[in-house]
Amino acid sequence: MSENNLILKNPLKFVKEDAGHLLGDGQFGAILARAGEGKTSFLMHLALDNLLRGKNVLHICLGQPIKKVCLWYEEVLLRISDQYELNNTNVMWEMILPHRFIMTFNIDDFSEKRLEERLNDLTEQGIFFPQVVLLDGLPFDKTDQTSLSKLKALAKEHGFPAWFTVMTHRENNIEQPDDIPSTISHMSDFFEVIVQLKPTGREINVQLVKGQKADRVL
Amino acid sequence: MNRDPAKVRNIGISAHIDAGKTTLTERILFYTQRIHAIHDVKGKDGVGATMDFMELEKERGITITSAATYCEWKGYEINIIDTPGHVDFTIEVERALRVLDGGVLVLCSVGGVQSQSITVDRQMSRYKVPCIAFINKCDRGGANPFRVIEQLREKLDHNAIAMQIPIGLESDFQGVVDLVSMKALYFDGPSGEQIRMEEIPQGLRTEAEAHRESLVDAASMFSDELMEAALDEKVTADILIDAIRNGTLVRGLTPVFIGSAYKNKGVQPLLDAVTHYLPQPMDIENFALDMDNEEVEKKLETDFSKPLVALAFKLEEGRYGQLTYIRVYQGTLSKGDTIVNSRTGQKVRIGRVVHMHADQMEEIGSIPAGYIGALFGVDCASGDTFTSPEIKYSMTSMHIPEPVISLAIVPMDNKAQVKISKALSRFTKEDPTFRAYVNHETGDTIISGMGELHLEIYVERMRREYDADVTTGMPQVAYRETITRQAEFNYTHKKQTGGAGQFGRVAGYLEPVKDEFVFENRIVGGAIPAEFISSCEKGFKKSMEKGQLLGFPITGVKIVINDGQSHPVDSSDMAFQAASRRAFWEGYRKAKPVILEPIMKVEVETPTEFQGAVMGSLNQRRGMILGTQDEGNISVIEAEVPLAEMFGYSTTLRSGTQGKAQFTMEFSTYRRVPKSVADELIKKAAEEKKKAT
Repeated sequence: MSENNLILKNPLKFVKEDAGHLLGDGQFGAILARAGEGKTSFLMHLALDNLLRGKNVLHICLGQPIKKVCLWYEEVLLRISDQYELNNTNVMWEMILPHRFIMTFNIDDFSEKRLEERLNDLTEQGIFFPQVVLLDGLPFDKTDQTSLSKLKALAKEHGFPAWFTVMTHRENNIEQPDDIPSTISHMSDFFEVIVQLKPTGREINVQLVKGQKADRVL
Repeated sequence: MNRDPAKVRNIGISAHIDAGKTTLTERILFYTQRIHAIHDVKGKDGVGATMDFMELEKERGITITSAATYCEWKGYEINIIDTPGHVDFTIEVERALRVLDGGVLVLCSVGGVQSQSITVDRQMSRYKVPCIAFINKCDRGGANPFRVIEQLREKLDHNAIAMQIPIGLESDFQGVVDLVSMKALYFDGPSGEQIRMEEIPQGLRTEAEAHRESLVDAASMFSDELMEAALDEKVTADILIDAIRNGTLVRGLTPVFIGSAYKNKGVQPLLDAVTHYLPQPMDIENFALDMDNEEVEKKLETDFSKPLVALAFKLEEGRYGQLTYIRVYQGTLSKGDTIVNSRTGQKVRIGRVVHMHADQMEEIGSIPAGYIGALFGVDCASGDTFTSPEIKYSMTSMHIPEPVISLAIVPMDNKAQVKISKALSRFTKEDPTFRAYVNHETGDTIISGMGELHLEIYVERMRREYDADVTTGMPQVAYRETITRQAEFNYTHKKQTGGAGQFGRVAGYLEPVKDEFVFENRIVGGAIPAEFISSCEKGFKKSMEKGQLLGFPITGVKIVINDGQSHPVDSSDMAFQAASRRAFWEGYRKAKPVILEPIMKVEVETPTEFQGAVMGSLNQRRGMILGTQDEGNISVIEAEVPLAEMFGYSTTLRSGTQGKAQFTMEFSTYRRVPKSVADELIKKAAEEKKKAT
């Protein structure tokens, strides 16, 4: 199976046919789920999908070391390669690696100012120009609107869409498809797309809470 | 010999290079009457400082090996390990900290908290070593001890608290105000040996009182008695000292002293501080693993009568044979005792037991718990645990960093070759971060260690101590070649001119594969007789040894043979081997061969302000940055960089980050060399080949 065929296996395809263009530059998407229900692996799929399209992915992770993030990638790619019996995983890996950049921060040390500094370090020296940003682990209960609007401005300035993982809690369960969990309801205006992951038996239900309507099962 | 562990201090003196710790140690030895004259590092008298006993150390003005010594101060026995300040000798610092109970962090009043101070501090915290700080060189232009105290708080996160304030600074530095006794101290006499105690100068009184108040405030967090005394305004020196000691022992407080070792000022109060604030052996909890009981952790007791547990932390090949530095944690190690090396199970009878004082030694009968000494004639590796025969304990092993840099060394003649092997065998035994091996591909002897200076020093020692004439070169990177596409071959080897003829035809294809070499026989109908199939395999395998592009081994090739021809008389093992070799080259050329190079996984730890510069430096070296890890003031950058680009990196990194960053690297994988680089390598290899012929 070639990388083109693999792109078609992207989980977001179930939400929208052309999943790679779900978000425009400067737009935000949120992946909502409770702890351990697949936010990070969903994010990995998104990352791999973009990497296989040749896009530069900046993966920002709060509270985890680089090694752990790398392991996630290896694990997800290995599983995909097992599932679809790929025999060129090594070549694929070497192809995508230059397009990936991982940044990790201590949760308490992360700020949009710090991120801006780090981004400037990368872009000013021509080291890396992100085309998609993934932010895993931002504590939304401690993040205010000012911070998010600064992040939005930064995304617009650098011209990249950004996906965030948002941890929801039991009391945030969505009953109506249009309801947005309280964890991010006060900030939902910042997000063009909100996706909720819900396990149903051995399957994960991907529910589009905001954006183009859809409800599919993976 | 003093046998009260409460009156023992095992301390290390560590700092950034050139912060003056060897000079400070020299003064300590003078004031404690271990030496009777002061010799300065790079001194005009040509004698050199006592602790820098190796010729090379004297010449370069830096401490290379940590010499152990001891001295007595006001009834206390102080064992000192003088540790190197250069980052390349980190293992020495680590070993010292492993066996010491307390540390003196020496800082330069001008340079402040420098990179090595950060490294040393990290090591001290890894081994939970309580420490006090000494801000040296207060007589220098630009000296600012309070700025350094601030840096200790900000950069190293120490609860640093001034114990003294300076009387004058730079060229006007006269003495210090002691904030515990609230007296001014001046150091008179030709070598500052006479301490004159006076009232605090009027102009400094207010400042001294303010600092004293801060000191009492900070210390009272560690003593209810002091807090009550402070409320009643009845703080005595003893109560204050006890509270500061409590805080220091739990690493909650770092008392800071100031002075100028070179100008003989402030050293004696520092010695008092070592006895007052740094721990005695019993204050520190040490553990060993019980090897007979599923490695359960056992607390060791500083008790002379208990079974022996001791750790060999340093080996040195001296003029009288192998000297093993040892720290006894429990029991007593005496001359004539039989002890067991818990790693090897070997029984060892103790011959001579000595106290080391730089390169001079003093014979002693025993080393009791809590003490450091040295043994002669014990065969062991550094880090080995020795115990009494009735127990089998092992101290946790020390953290040994992996070498990061390699260099090829070439002996000038056979004589030098013998000397080099002797030297290498000794150095590798003494220093676990120094490794040596022969690269079978290039035939070079490769030495690897913690940095360029580290290796440079060993090469220099080979020349001086072993009189071995060696030259060094850039180490040869072990490249590989491989193919990128399938290609067919069909070669007939025919030699029928005179004598027995040779005939063999081999046909098939080769293609890239993950494994190093795969051979598949798909011959049907006996086109190649079965007895010659192994000849073919041998021929192909032989061809893999040396590629055509650079002459390095070929890897990742699958050979499939599916046709051939033989001759009833002229076909032989040799003929099919030759046919296969030629067939390989025929196919190899068509299979688009490429050069592979070793890629190293590089991890750079740098203060955050240099993150951009470090990433730039890695990028320039064809490095692919995998990610950055922000940890407050420190950032870790992970990258994959070709080994060929890493030579000289430690120097680049040091100069680009004011010496504040450090890096480690390890082999990661082989990856294709970019075309432009490959062309350059091929051109170079061709030139060298031409030169050789």
